[in-house]
Amino acid sequence: MTLGNSQIKPDAHGKVTGAALYAGDLTAERLGTQGMLHAKVVFTNQVHARVTLLDVSAAEAVEGVLFVLTADDVPVNEYGLTKFDQPVLIGPTSSGRSIVPHDVSRWEADHLAVVVAESAEAATLGAQQIVSDWEQLDIVADIDAALAPGAPLVHPEDEVASNAYAHLVIRKGDVDAAFAAADVIVEGTYELPYQEHAFLQTEAGVAYTDGEGRVTVETAGQWTHEDQEQIAHALGVNADEVRVIYRAIGGAFGGKEDMSVQIVLALAAKRLAELDDHRPVRMEWSREESIVGHHKRHRGRITTRWAATADGHILGVESNNYLDAGAYNYTSNKVLGNLHLTVSGPYEIENARVDSWAVYTNAVPGGAFRGFGGPQGTFAAEMQMNKLAAATGIDPVEIRRRNLLREGSIGITSTEMPAGVSLPQVVDACAEAAEWTHPKPPPVPIASFASLPSTTDRVRRGRGFACTYKNVGFSFGFPERSEARLVLHGDNDQPTSAEVFLAGADVGQGAHTAFVQMAAEATGLAFEDITATFSDTATSGDSGSASASRLSFMTGNAILGAAEEAEKAWREGARPAVGEFRYVPPPTEPLDPEGAPTTPNFAYGYVAEAVDLSVDLDTGHVVVHDVVCAIDVGRIINRALVVGQVEGAVIQAHGYALSENLQVEEGRVLNPRLSGYLIPGIGDIPEQVRTILLEIPDPVGPFGVRGMAEMPLMPYAPAVAAALFDATGVWFDEFPFTPGRLAAGLG
Amino acid sequence: MSTTNVGDSLGVVLTINGKRHMLEVEPRRSLSDVIREDVGLTGTHLGCEHGVCGACTVLVDGQPARSCLMLAVQADETEITTIEGLADGDELHPIQQAMHESHGFQCGFCTPGFLMSTVALLSENPQPNRSEIRAELSGNLCRCTGYQSIVDGVETAVSLLNEAQGNQP
Repeated sequence: MTLGNSQIKPDAHGKVTGAALYAGDLTAERLGTQGMLHAKVVFTNQVHARVTLLDVSAAEAVEGVLFVLTADDVPVNEYGLTKFDQPVLIGPTSSGRSIVPHDVSRWEADHLAVVVAESAEAATLGAQQIVSDWEQLDIVADIDAALAPGAPLVHPEDEVASNAYAHLVIRKGDVDAAFAAADVIVEGTYELPYQEHAFLQTEAGVAYTDGEGRVTVETAGQWTHEDQEQIAHALGVNADEVRVIYRAIGGAFGGKEDMSVQIVLALAAKRLAELDDHRPVRMEWSREESIVGHHKRHRGRITTRWAATADGHILGVESNNYLDAGAYNYTSNKVLGNLHLTVSGPYEIENARVDSWAVYTNAVPGGAFRGFGGPQGTFAAEMQMNKLAAATGIDPVEIRRRNLLREGSIGITSTEMPAGVSLPQVVDACAEAAEWTHPKPPPVPIASFASLPSTTDRVRRGRGFACTYKNVGFSFGFPERSEARLVLHGDNDQPTSAEVFLAGADVGQGAHTAFVQMAAEATGLAFEDITATFSDTATSGDSGSASASRLSFMTGNAILGAAEEAEKAWREGARPAVGEFRYVPPPTEPLDPEGAPTTPNFAYGYVAEAVDLSVDLDTGHVVVHDVVCAIDVGRIINRALVVGQVEGAVIQAHGYALSENLQVEEGRVLNPRLSGYLIPGIGDIPEQVRTILLEIPDPVGPFGVRGMAEMPLMPYAPAVAAALFDATGVWFDEFPFTPGRLAAGLG
Repeated sequence: MSTTNVGDSLGVVLTINGKRHMLEVEPRRSLSDVIREDVGLTGTHLGCEHGVCGACTVLVDGQPARSCLMLAVQADETEITTIEGLADGDELHPIQQAMHESHGFQCGFCTPGFLMSTVALLSENPQPNRSEIRAELSGNLCRCTGYQSIVDGVETAVSLLNEAQGNQP
């Protein structure tokens, strides 16, 4: 039995000794090559402008510079995870075909050119010699500007008369009648902030042509085969002419799901091969380049009204939701789907009118980030639920019990919820661990600043509760799949060892450890008897992305299938016995454009959190004493890794709720450094985070596993807001709850 | 009077993990770049290059230092310890062993910095309590773990070190 323990990660030794190799650590010596070249990608530094001149001749004349790639050098000058709406390189001319006009910079970090040189210094000097002229276009700064009458269009080529796109609707029951019959109506307009991933390892990679003539990119990402597809598309070659390998990955959280260095490095490697230069070429982004140059959790605005009876039963929900997609879609249309389903909460609601839009602007693109629209939707929903509790005088946990989705409930899209709805048990477990029915503890003395004495005079204590749900996998009709190959070895009756080949990315969460544990369980072999090869498109089929709380679920099922195939071959006498399997989860549907009933998901995860905090009324300083996170994980594969996901997600949520404050004005990121964008340090975090794991099997999960890695991030911000209300009597509808914002609101 | 032009290299002697390196480096270059690029010890990681994240922490004459903020020429004639110098051959340092067992990391990118800060902490204060551990490690950022497992790892390290030194029966 290998499941459920805290198996040490096989990569642990390298990570505590410094031997683990991240993409930025690949030297010529380690790659077995003579020499290494350096590439620098040049951002346009233009928020919205048309390029009229681009001259790289002075750059190419810099000593040590080999060549400069421009739009003229990109065979198919477009890319994107869900839509090819972004040029690889912006330029006045482009030899490549593309749907999106290549001569307009729509974002300050659009790419203009790639300088390849003998040294990083020469590449930087070359970049400084690039000459360009620009015709300025009107900037669409934010959602308000984008929706204003007569606003300039960010993507006029789409031939849509508005910057708002990807409209989603829910039309259920009779909302007007519900509001007419209501005893209580609560409402709010919630302003949702950006969040930056701030993975500790910035974007980096190395590219070269491998022994079989494939353009090869070694990097850190979340989905090897999607990287391969996008590189191949831009290079105008078949996917099997491109190879993607992931080395150790220094965090991702959704922020490495889209392209950064991959395509431009591949272009450089392709040119080098044409020049018969066999040196690899490397690129590594600075922290500033990283924060300016990759997408964010979307900022947005949700305006919503809920109608309810005096005894706390929700009658109807009306909600209008906007996400700032920024300059390109990335995954905004998909993120919007999760906001759309979570904005009415994890509750039985018979009458709903919900409209959601993504909105193009000239700001940094919004995209994937742990929770994928769920944190934004959940913030509005749980603010509304806690306001409803306050308005009706019903305890926040009790009022939830009266409305929660449960087994057999009809969900917000008017179809029955997938089996395994464990939210009532999760809510009860959280309330019990938090001793919710016990009297609130007294304020503890806190000193807002080291120079101030600790006092309770102006300190108030409060508790807050929130819960939510999140889908597992991309779903909404996406053709999900995950492939595994498993080979059993041994000479006699019983296999004595196995090899597995899997593409799924270990971004730090420990997926590779969990895979091997599941392979051991599936074959009856010991953990140590499994040899694994990971994250190389040349050796593995497509596992899909390390995102959407999907990887253990999908790849676990693929491993189970491959083990069954291999055992069948073994019984038929094959030595070694090979099993290959492509897992396809139950089908899902995209949302109906008119709001007719659909089944967008096949499985969900459920979570509840309780927060206990103190706040200083004068300074707005907050100390979180205790967080309880109760989550149904279905089946624990590795306890330490599961707890690590909960604790890590809660602390990311703590930053999202309290300190992380990305400033984007007129299309410019104003604080692109960790000195100005404050992720929680050890001195900022709650005094304790307690994890309560439930194991109620998911009917279609491998071994009963549910997706779980995003869910704990989602209810934290509204639970903090509820605790602030409990402490002070003030609702804060906008976050992060920085000291300045709280002090102003409490003054 | 001698003058040095920007871009001229200077000779420095760095003793890194017990090995003397005689290097010619430009005065503008950071200690971290020289450790990573010239000496090839890439376990020292760069997360922000302006002294906030602590991933590049090394010991300079036993004191923790952010190698991204220190110039290599400032470290001339010092003894430097990096993450690669902690283990004794194949035998992990007790702090490495503790972090290994406590799942005190996820992606591992911040881990070398945390380990070097922990070495410095425990050399000054061999019996820190939980709040002292938090205070001493407050200069290192981790985005994955939420820190609780890191503090657990340091507590485990304290136990291992005490056992090794025979402080406990």
